[in-house]
Amino acid sequence: MTAGLKTIISLSFVLAIGFLLVILSCALFKQYLPLLVVATYVLAPLPNWICGRCANPDDFGDSGGANAIVDFGRFCTGFLVIMGIALPAVLAHSEIIRIPAMIMSIIGGVLIYGTVISFGLFFQEEQEF
Amino acid sequence: MSEERLWKFKKPEWMNSIMARSAGVYAAGALFSLAFFVMVDAAVFSHSPLNGSDPPIHITFIDWLPLIFSSLGMLIINSIEKTRLSADSFSYSGSGVAWKARVVLFLGFASLAGGMAGGVTVLVLKYVVPGTVWPTLYMGVANVASNGLVMLSSVVLWVSQNMEDEYAYNLAL
Repeated sequence: MTAGLKTIISLSFVLAIGFLLVILSCALFKQYLPLLVVATYVLAPLPNWICGRCANPDDFGDSGGANAIVDFGRFCTGFLVIMGIALPAVLAHSEIIRIPAMIMSIIGGVLIYGTVISFGLFFQEEQEF
Repeated sequence: MSEERLWKFKKPEWMNSIMARSAGVYAAGALFSLAFFVMVDAAVFSHSPLNGSDPPIHITFIDWLPLIFSSLGMLIINSIEKTRLSADSFSYSGSGVAWKARVVLFLGFASLAGGMAGGVTVLVLKYVVPGTVWPTLYMGVANVASNGLVMLSSVVLWVSQNMEDEYAYNLAL
């Protein structure tokens, strides 16, 4: 139980640092487009989750329909994860944001996504059993 | 199963694991995203003040067309049920499903290859022949790169879906 509490505290700490970096990268340069990274990374686990619900794990017999839906969810998740890195890079390449803002928003986005993913990992096992 | 094998080299063991399969699907999504954003980057760059081409060259709908065709081809190829392709089983070849699947698959591959060829065409006709220099030439190179990435993505997705069939077969035994 204490391990769970420590996990929650450290995860929320990392999440706060991630948000800090992203907001700093926006506010320091008065250019608020990098906030889109947060939206991307919050949306990233959603397709996986929705498609995991849609697929029925019972019908293993025909590997057609159910696995295709799960694969589609994975594909969308992979798309969104790279989108979170590519978006600041695109903005920085056209000098809409500066290079330090790009680096800060990428690191912040990775921290936020890592928090979301590890939160799912830590607390999914308890749900299943 | 082992006697039906065609090639001398065995498939490595790790390729049959379910982890490798889902990693392949994620990687396919990542590659497709990379392809899309390379093209978006070229479009954003062309409308930013950095684009210093003298008769101004911008990314228009023409530049997007090869990527649209490639993506359509990828969608077609990976929507096909792969088990329908083998006409060896009588149940499928009887109603002509395998034949239909091959025609549709051919259309998909043609669309994918056409997208790649269209990317090279845009690069040559719009950027190389008028003799543009690097920062402008990048927009054409990005076109070819993004079509190549879509191709790579569909190859990865195809391979990992075939892995899945193998896995299901092993499980069914």
